[in-house]
Amino acid sequence: MLGELINPYYLQVASFILINIILGLSIYVTLASGQLSLGSAGFMAVGAYTTALLTTNFEVPLLVGILAGVMLAGIFGIIVGIPSLRLRGVFLAIATLGFGEIVRVFIVNTESLTKGAIGISGIPQLGREILDKLEVIGFDPEILGLKANQFTFLIVFILLLIIVIVLVCFFSRQKNSRVGRAFSAINMDEQAAASMGINVTYYKVLSFTQGAMLAGLAGALYAHVLSYISPADFTYHKAVEILTFSVFGGSEVVGGAIFGATFLTLLPETLRAISEYRYMIYGILLVVMMAYRPQGVIDEQMMRWFKRRKGRRQQHGTENK
Amino acid sequence: MFLEQLINGITTGSIYAIVALGYTLVFGVLGIINMAHGEIFMFGAFMGVVITSTLGLPLWLAFVAAAVITAILGYLLERLALRPLRNRPDSHLAPLISTIGVSIFLENLADKLFGSGNHPVQNSLSEASFTIGSVNIYVVQIVIFCISIALMIALSYWLLKTKGGKALRATAENLETASLLGVNTKRVIMVTVVLASVIGGIAGILVGMAFSSVNPQMGLSFGLKGLAIIILGGMGNVKGAMVGGMILGLSETLVVALGYSGYRDAIAFIMIIVILLLRPQGLFGTKTA
Repeated sequence: MLGELINPYYLQVASFILINIILGLSIYVTLASGQLSLGSAGFMAVGAYTTALLTTNFEVPLLVGILAGVMLAGIFGIIVGIPSLRLRGVFLAIATLGFGEIVRVFIVNTESLTKGAIGISGIPQLGREILDKLEVIGFDPEILGLKANQFTFLIVFILLLIIVIVLVCFFSRQKNSRVGRAFSAINMDEQAAASMGINVTYYKVLSFTQGAMLAGLAGALYAHVLSYISPADFTYHKAVEILTFSVFGGSEVVGGAIFGATFLTLLPETLRAISEYRYMIYGILLVVMMAYRPQGVIDEQMMRWFKRRKGRRQQHGTENK
Repeated sequence: MFLEQLINGITTGSIYAIVALGYTLVFGVLGIINMAHGEIFMFGAFMGVVITSTLGLPLWLAFVAAAVITAILGYLLERLALRPLRNRPDSHLAPLISTIGVSIFLENLADKLFGSGNHPVQNSLSEASFTIGSVNIYVVQIVIFCISIALMIALSYWLLKTKGGKALRATAENLETASLLGVNTKRVIMVTVVLASVIGGIAGILVGMAFSSVNPQMGLSFGLKGLAIIILGGMGNVKGAMVGGMILGLSETLVVALGYSGYRDAIAFIMIIVILLLRPQGLFGTKTA
């Protein structure tokens, strides 16, 4: 039956892959306009702590908490993003790194509110809450042949999958829209883009804020999946890890973030021996990628090649009929 | 009390200034920010621990060992992470990402090699102190201050008066022109990165002496402070690094004295953001288009 096929551990790993894909996308969308943000861990913390504090202290519904987290991360994104326009690429990276550390130091030091370094535990679990709601209207996971905890892991996975699919569709379409083209024009040459009538300020802040909101969303979901967060989850290491997802997978295309996050999340899970040396491997990967393939494993050329092959096969299919 | 805090601030500030010098040198010549500098510095600090505390050898040997190890690390950094990226027009972010890779690698390597957590630093100097009036001064503080000043003077002299320094400044001004005029720019770049790393390594030992504790994560926090200082003082500016270091050291001591020690590490970051917004070229920098 379905119940035997579902292993909570696999579902948990799959859920983390999906959250990491959202994080990879947050780097992708900021890099699309030529901006490197090292503050993703900070924005993630803003999202996570906002919803965690709202839902545990004020019993706000999860949806409202998560949305509040995303909005607040977005507001911080605008606040950090607007002044950063004056900064060249490298300085922006450092300013965002500074932002991430300020957020972390602030969380550690406001013990009365955030419980400092200990972290917040007992955050309502996403799957649990959904199950409770469903049980009120008389649903029982036994109908599907599932135990309660299997159902909660499954529903979380499905929900995250839907969110990721929506986001991937959105950003793939945005890439070829007016907005996406403006981003890549700014990425290529800011002055040329400005002289072509592109509002550089608007689009740069837009791309930065989109990245911040995505990171905030990932953070909020992370809090409700794990139901425990602490400042140690949002350090510089996390920011570098998120950067590696995108840089390794490919920072030019949406598929790159998906591949990078999936591959690099599965790697330490499948090869336990590697897990301990994870960050050393990330470091080597970053250096090697920059030297030999700065655009990442998956680039636009590769995507085009895939599309051509698919197109050809479809043509053959019609001819044979 | 006030004077003691002032001396503490100056000691800390002079160490920060040396850390910042490493960034300034590399930025001045290559125009990139070497994110791995903090971790190379941390390796220097660990050499101090290994030589003096673990092996029980004299302090001067620690300086030699730190200089050698960090020189090797600097060479490898240039050879493996920076040179392959040079002369490629595609991205100005590539060297930044590449050195971030080196930094995270070195930090975790140190964690594996030396073990995580704090490592105490002991040497013959750490307890010695004397009192002038009501002010208690540690000998270490004077040693640190003197070494920092000597290092700054030596570096300034080398940059301004010697042929090697002239070649370095020429390369910093314009790589292509310097190369046309017969400067071996490849070597100058190598010398710069190695020199910056060695200075970082020496700063590492001084930090070990001043704070009597070393850990693998210190590279990041000191590295970010170094970055804050060069942003404050102006990129590629030796004088700016000195003044910036003093300002940061003194303001941190002030914040601790006022009782907000938890926020001590945040000052550097707040400084980065404020300076980048108000005066992106730094206190001593000149505006560029």
